[in-house]
Amino acid sequence: MVAESSMVCHECDLLVEVPRLEIRQKAYCPRCNYLLAANRPYAKRVVFAFATSGLLFLVLANAFPFLGFSAKGQERTVTLLQSVGILVTENLPLLAAVVFASIIAIPAMFLISIIYVSFSLANERSYPGTRKTLRWAVLLLPWSMAEIFLIGILVSFTKIVTIADVALGASFWSYVLFTICITVVVLHLDKRELWEHVELLRHD
Amino acid sequence: MTEVMQISAMEQGLQGCPICTSVGSAEKTHCNRCGSKLHAGWANSIQHTWAWLATSVVLYLPANFLPITYTRFLGKETESTILGGVVTLWEHGSEPIAVIIFVASVLVPLSKMLVLAWLCLSVQFGSNFLLPQKTRLYRITEFVGRWSMIDVFVVSILVALIQLGNVMTILPGVAALAFAAMVVTTMLAALAFDPRLLWVSADKGDRV
Ligand SMILES: [Zn+2]
Ligand SMILES: [Zn+2]
Repeated sequence: MVAESSMVCHECDLLVEVPRLEIRQKAYCPRCNYLLAANRPYAKRVVFAFATSGLLFLVLANAFPFLGFSAKGQERTVTLLQSVGILVTENLPLLAAVVFASIIAIPAMFLISIIYVSFSLANERSYPGTRKTLRWAVLLLPWSMAEIFLIGILVSFTKIVTIADVALGASFWSYVLFTICITVVVLHLDKRELWEHVELLRHD
Repeated sequence: MTEVMQISAMEQGLQGCPICTSVGSAEKTHCNRCGSKLHAGWANSIQHTWAWLATSVVLYLPANFLPITYTRFLGKETESTILGGVVTLWEHGSEPIAVIIFVASVLVPLSKMLVLAWLCLSVQFGSNFLLPQKTRLYRITEFVGRWSMIDVFVVSILVALIQLGNVMTILPGVAALAFAAMVVTTMLAALAFDPRLLWVSADKGDRV
């Protein structure tokens, strides 16, 4: 059979022996240079702490005014959900669904899944569906687009500032913090290590 | 690292799970460790990629030629396409933003489709030309594709904020939906493509 430490490169299908990694060491594929595994310091604690705070910031991002807009004596303030909801009232519910999923629902599900798996690992027992949850977290990741949404907001400001004033609400800043948190989580997630730990959990 | 040691997992009757990285027999349809569906039906990868690619090409046309926003300003309504928006940004002196939007909305989707089509053809013809470069190109394509969504978010923010009745209102156009669907289908095309096939078919080509 294959050695436990073997890995197949996701990019070029090369079978690679990955040695035990020291802290701050990374393993790259010898054929195509793809990052195979990384051992980042305090990875598990960082993942749990930032996933929890990220989720909290996402909740806060939905609780206060998100953006404000004023022009020609008229003012308008929207929450994050209202800014998605307007697409429904403008007859593009499918577009609203895509936006809602990519900037709120999927990132939230990703963070909740990661927190659940982290709990399993911290208590050293396999809670129901731990593997399924981790699988979903990995599958959902490319569809989480918080960082792209933030850049989109900045670009739209450059279009608006010529005609009106824009105000950034408390929820906007929460969303920025949430985006930073989810990015830190993704950077510290090592699929190989995480799955190895999950596999070792007791079932009861 | 010598060439001799570099043997694909597939040639050794093995495959790796893309979700949990465990290594198992190449004939397995589901992963032992995480239960994910594996690339057992490899012949389908290229067909699925072509199918998603064709869908995204079909969506690319309405996304670029229909209006993405309608602007009502003092009772008058004007419509704007993606390229129109880029031109307006440029004329108003926001050249860097115009370039970002042009790259994200026009250049990236187009080059992504061309790259994936080229990669599919390379696999089908068993070409081993520029293999490492093609692999890197696939990785860049997979990574960059999501960023095309920028324009969809720009439109949704503009529509959400600029709602001042007859003074000034911006409404979303169908192109915004077509564009979002196009980004999603090109992402699905990239996900359906199995980059290992590039190396497997080239390995075979070497020996024949
Ligand atoms: Zn590789
Ligand atoms: Zn697996």
